[in-house]
Amino acid sequence: MATVAGSLERQAAGRGLSLVAAAGWIALAAGLLALPHLLSISQREVAVMLLVNVLLVASYRLITLTGEWSLGHVVTMGVGAYGSALLASLAGFPVVLAMLGGALIAGFVAWLLSFPLFRMKGFYFLIGSFAAAEVIRLCWKKFTVPFGGPKGLSQVPELPPLDLGALTGWLSLQLGEPGAGGHSGAYFLGLLPVHEDLVIRFSKPLFTANYYYFCLLVVAVSLWLLWRIERSRIGMTFHAIHWQDSLAASVGVNTRGYRTLALVVGSVFAGLAGALMAHGVGSVAPGRFDVTQMVYVLIWVIVGGTATFAGPIVGVVVLTVLNEVVLRELGIDALRPAVYGAILIVSVLFLPQGLEGLWRGRRNRPAKRRST
Amino acid sequence: MLKRGFPISRRRLIGSGAAGLAAAGTMVRRPGAARAQDAKTVKIGFLAPLTGEVAAWGLPGLYGCQIWAEKVNAAGGLEIGGDRYLVEFVPYDDEYLADKASVGATQLIFEDGVKFLMMLGGDPMPAAYAVASQADMLVSTLLPSDLTPDTPNLIAPSEVHPIYNVTGVQWLAENRSELKTAVICAQDDALGRPSVATYQAAFEAAGITVNDTIFFDISTTDFAPVMTSMLSSNPDILCLDTAYSDFVNLLCEQAYQQGFKGQIISCTADYYRDIVANTSKEFMEGFIFQFPDFDDPALNDPRVNFPDPNGFYAEYVERFPGEWSAVSWEYVSVMHLWVDAAQRAGSIEPQDVLAAMKEGGVGRHAFGQAEWWGEELFGISNALVGDWPVVVIRDGKAQIADFKSIPAWWDAHGQLLIEKFEAMGEMHYQRG
Repeated sequence: MATVAGSLERQAAGRGLSLVAAAGWIALAAGLLALPHLLSISQREVAVMLLVNVLLVASYRLITLTGEWSLGHVVTMGVGAYGSALLASLAGFPVVLAMLGGALIAGFVAWLLSFPLFRMKGFYFLIGSFAAAEVIRLCWKKFTVPFGGPKGLSQVPELPPLDLGALTGWLSLQLGEPGAGGHSGAYFLGLLPVHEDLVIRFSKPLFTANYYYFCLLVVAVSLWLLWRIERSRIGMTFHAIHWQDSLAASVGVNTRGYRTLALVVGSVFAGLAGALMAHGVGSVAPGRFDVTQMVYVLIWVIVGGTATFAGPIVGVVVLTVLNEVVLRELGIDALRPAVYGAILIVSVLFLPQGLEGLWRGRRNRPAKRRST
Repeated sequence: MLKRGFPISRRRLIGSGAAGLAAAGTMVRRPGAARAQDAKTVKIGFLAPLTGEVAAWGLPGLYGCQIWAEKVNAAGGLEIGGDRYLVEFVPYDDEYLADKASVGATQLIFEDGVKFLMMLGGDPMPAAYAVASQADMLVSTLLPSDLTPDTPNLIAPSEVHPIYNVTGVQWLAENRSELKTAVICAQDDALGRPSVATYQAAFEAAGITVNDTIFFDISTTDFAPVMTSMLSSNPDILCLDTAYSDFVNLLCEQAYQQGFKGQIISCTADYYRDIVANTSKEFMEGFIFQFPDFDDPALNDPRVNFPDPNGFYAEYVERFPGEWSAVSWEYVSVMHLWVDAAQRAGSIEPQDVLAAMKEGGVGRHAFGQAEWWGEELFGISNALVGDWPVVVIRDGKAQIADFKSIPAWWDAHGQLLIEKFEAMGEMHYQRG
């Protein structure tokens, strides 16, 4: 154990991280792995939706890096949700492939929309993205085939069970007393509840924990990719376009191409978030992707802050916990719009850099130059 | 009895201000808890939109349930199977979103242990029912368009939306035969579209020509162009379909401002006194809709299965002024059916109650004896259908003009309704 800690410390030091930061990462990972076992069944579903929304806001931030704010990101998420649901239910794709397909469809639609949208900038891009998104959303409502019309699609296939039967020879399953809903009392790798027939199921509500781990894996990999993109030369170019697009163009940077790239990549991950939601909830409807939901995304991002990678994630986590745990437990969840409004006003007035401003100011002065 | 203090809708909060807050404050009390100390508690889940655009069809129903539960508990609770039960409603705001409804259903069924789940229905239903079906939970909806052959535990025992809308058109044709043309408008959603199909069938059956059908998006805020378009063909009748409460109000204001002087018919007219105030008594005279105020003397008819409707209404408007709406009594009427079935079954278990409820194929609907129906339209006979009132505004007050039989209309024009549903893609086998 000491060797592992020492190794982590050396690695952390090599990357300029402190031992405290490394310990923080380990604690975060342990916490995320243990989380479903600390939550009630319904709260596990909230945790799944939180992971989906984390991916949504992180992908949104990638688009904002180039300086453009879109009002169509939630609809892009919906494109992924509808695409994945249709690929799985109509075309018979395996669910995981359908999810990837849905994400790619979202990216393709974003690429198509980039042609008219990137003829605009700033406020005009904002309004243009809203209009384009509304066209897509109204198409879902208009065309009952294949989108299901206003009621949308139901009975979206869930993630298929994973059979461990063939692996039991070498896997150590900690068998216990059989539990409710066919739960065998066994845990794969000490975490994932296993059905009594040694199959890992992902169906809600009894096996939501397994779907949580699936989403955690997908979201973690996605965040790592988004992080790598932002830290790469491409990411630096996004920043350059944001702050000095004329200068960047004058030295040969294809600003429109990079803006398109940010929109498409961000949309692919938003589509993936939509696919995770569709197969987790089991239904998709146009009402889930309206402008009200987009406003919530904007609030999460603004309250969290967009200057750092973690800002929007902190925003969505804090506000989701506030909404789904604090307000509901207090029985005043109907005051949500007022609470959100008050938080937004307070944030704009006293935390113009968002919640991330609380730690950035002390920790990393140069980062302020990236602030929006 | 409520599990916890519960919410105030955004709009009504603005409208009723301190009065609304004070009203909500009273709801955290548990007036029945002190009585019948030997009684058990049966929990009923209330999973509906309590905030947002659709809250007007959730929150007023919860108010009604609270009044009903307090009365029941004050009287010592319910006698079921030799045991005495106090009633506790456990509300959960699904915000009319599927993912929130799924979480709510999980919490209510698997954590709170409710024995019956009442919902508004619509978008959130598929996700919530997927959870409920795993526990064989009995679920009710106000929207029978949620019913499919795959939902055996889902019932529509109170409101057969939108089928009862045919009664208003039928009464209109019988009493104002000079009206020959109509224009329909509705928001383009799961509530508006099947309702449009129903009105189209009803008008056609009554010999009234539909000049135009206009769908508007749910995010519409300016109804001037919608109304201008509706009036462009100079119709005798404006049909507001099942437009949301706020939309009905705004559409009526636009019709008034643009000089319309003909007949208006609508599924609902929640907060119609506000509409009268914003237009005029003369303009609203003869306005037809489907949901009575429960102070109406016609509801004292012996065939009506809603105990003391006038007293219920009086208490409701006193405690929640300005909150009476189409759903204020409906969830309560569902509870009347549930109690009746549970007492006959001698059990609160969902499947026992469902079996008793459907025994003999008939049930005691709020507006009289009714039959379990819907096989041809929904693929399953889980909708309780009988008579339905036609309500007319006279001198600024809603009054029941007549009761009309939905089954009788269906027997004469059922095929026409199926054709319109198919054209709208609303038959159960056409839904996604």
